Amino acid sequence: MLSLCGLVLIATIYGFVGYIGPKPTPLQGFTAPFVFGNFKVPVDNPLTQEAVQLGRRLFYDKQLSGDNTVSCSTCHLQHLAFTDGRARSVGVSGKMLDFNSMSLANLMWGSRHFFWNGRVDSLEEQALAPIQHPDEMAQNLDDLIDELAADDVYPGLFKSAYGEISAENIARALATFERTLISSDSKYDQYLRGELKLSAEEELGRKLFMAHPDIKVSLRGGNCIDCHSQFLTSGFNAQFDGFSNNGLDTEALLTSGLQFTTGQVTDRGKFKVPTLRNIALTAPYMHDGRFTTLEQVLDHYNEGIRVSDSLSPLIMEADNQPQDGVNIRISLNLNEEEKRAVIAFLHTLTDHNFITEDKFSNPFDADTKPDA
Amino acid sequence: MRKLLSISVAIGLLLTGAAIYVYQTSQPGTLRMRFDAVVGDQPLVFNDARYSNPGGAGMFRIRDFQFFISNIDLHGEKGVYRLPDSYYLARFDNSSTSYQIDLANVPRDRYSAVTFSIGVDEVANGSIMSVGDLDPNSRMAWNWEVGYKFLLFEGALIDSDTIRPLVYHVGFNENRKTLRFNLPEEVAPDSSDALIFTVDVLALFTGKTTVDMAALPSVKFDRDDARLLADNYGTMISLTPTTDDAQ
Repeated sequence: MLSLCGLVLIATIYGFVGYIGPKPTPLQGFTAPFVFGNFKVPVDNPLTQEAVQLGRRLFYDKQLSGDNTVSCSTCHLQHLAFTDGRARSVGVSGKMLDFNSMSLANLMWGSRHFFWNGRVDSLEEQALAPIQHPDEMAQNLDDLIDELAADDVYPGLFKSAYGEISAENIARALATFERTLISSDSKYDQYLRGELKLSAEEELGRKLFMAHPDIKVSLRGGNCIDCHSQFLTSGFNAQFDGFSNNGLDTEALLTSGLQFTTGQVTDRGKFKVPTLRNIALTAPYMHDGRFTTLEQVLDHYNEGIRVSDSLSPLIMEADNQPQDGVNIRISLNLNEEEKRAVIAFLHTLTDHNFITEDKFSNPFDADTKPDA
Repeated sequence: MRKLLSISVAIGLLLTGAAIYVYQTSQPGTLRMRFDAVVGDQPLVFNDARYSNPGGAGMFRIRDFQFFISNIDLHGEKGVYRLPDSYYLARFDNSSTSYQIDLANVPRDRYSAVTFSIGVDEVANGSIMSVGDLDPNSRMAWNWEVGYKFLLFEGALIDSDTIRPLVYHVGFNENRKTLRFNLPEEVAPDSSDALIFTVDVLALFTGKTTVDMAALPSVKFDRDDARLLADNYGTMISLTPTTDDAQ
């Protein structure tokens, strides 16, 4: 009898909480190209209108930093496909950070490990790290929760999206907004949908992008696809397949990279393979921003590879010219026309709708929105 | 009267028990396939140049090794059961260097043979839909005009001071190898005996034709080279004898 009372009580409380708890609205009209493949949204953080609205506001809000001078958008600017144009980012401390700001596009696909060294496994987990990093946003999470609770707008937004204001819900909202940042209307997407033809130069570049060279069958290739998938152009999804050592440094200069996360010495110098979508907008390039132009990037892959133990064998082996087989000299040996063609193809990955989309823009700028 | 009642209760219980038994044994269950990787008579250890070039000088190391297992058919007394959408990417970069497939919803039957392919069928190979482990944005995809790598081996051959990259990407429809294994004992779903196979990575270079890695350090799009490796990998999987047989 006592246990029956208990059950009834639990059911009543459960029903009551269910009644007063938020009932957010599932995000309407959310689509992505099927060629991107399947995606998963965490069961405990569904895509809802309220969460997107809250996440967008948090993303652009300088209150998220300790001294209220820096927001997520300081290093992730929409007009640069959510990068910052710097070799390495600078946060509240004014110190140059270790890494280049990564573009935020199509984050539900590609590698499930975030940061250049793959140290977290979800966008939720990722979101809280820069906020607390002493050089990035230097914010204490408890202080942030107090600030948001004292704000005019946030208590209502949190209440309708999740319920309470908590670090977990801040992370959930930021992750949800980031999941909506889908770039799928570049010239390449339009080409994939059959809406247009690429120019002869872009088409040559596309073919080179999509091919590992094979002299034996006279197939010329730029070798890009060995790390950047054909539709997403990001790194691969499975396990740590989306991390690679792309020959930037000799053994002596190699930094830890993925080794930091896995503890495996064979992962030293491997970094996350980024998406190439909007790559023409996201200079400087590489995890440390060492290259300022796409021409330098192509020159690196074509003739600048530095050998180290974890260097990708696919990069070592790729060559468009026969070698004597004794003195192996690593070079792609693309000609100037081919290098220009690959760059022309990379420009077809620019998505103007993505960088001008209202839904992704700064909600605090609503009155002073620049023309698209 | 009392006696009659207890007899009918007993019969009722018996019938219910029998019905439950019949119901349970007619339900589909799970069948486990396990693939353990070895390199000849040695264990598989990644990133360690401990293996001899089978056809020449030098030692080689394995950075990556994975392949597709597809179109799994179970041959039972009641017929052949084809696992739907059975496209599995077998990879062995884990602590037990083995790959396990739990086949769900397998109809209740006594199975005496299993067939599956190394590689994928022509329809799947020409498609960009994500089915099973087939993912056109994965490292096993070449591009939509070429299809999938059926087997991927990457590593290096080290001979004195020379490090030579090894890249073996084998695909093309003609290189799908369908293998049949007759089981020494019939298996049923949910039986504790998993179907255990041994995958010998070395057979890729020794199965039918012995390969000198220095002479053939990479195979990608050349049809003859790809066929040579495919004929080799067609021999790399065997049923692991059970412990009883091995004794």
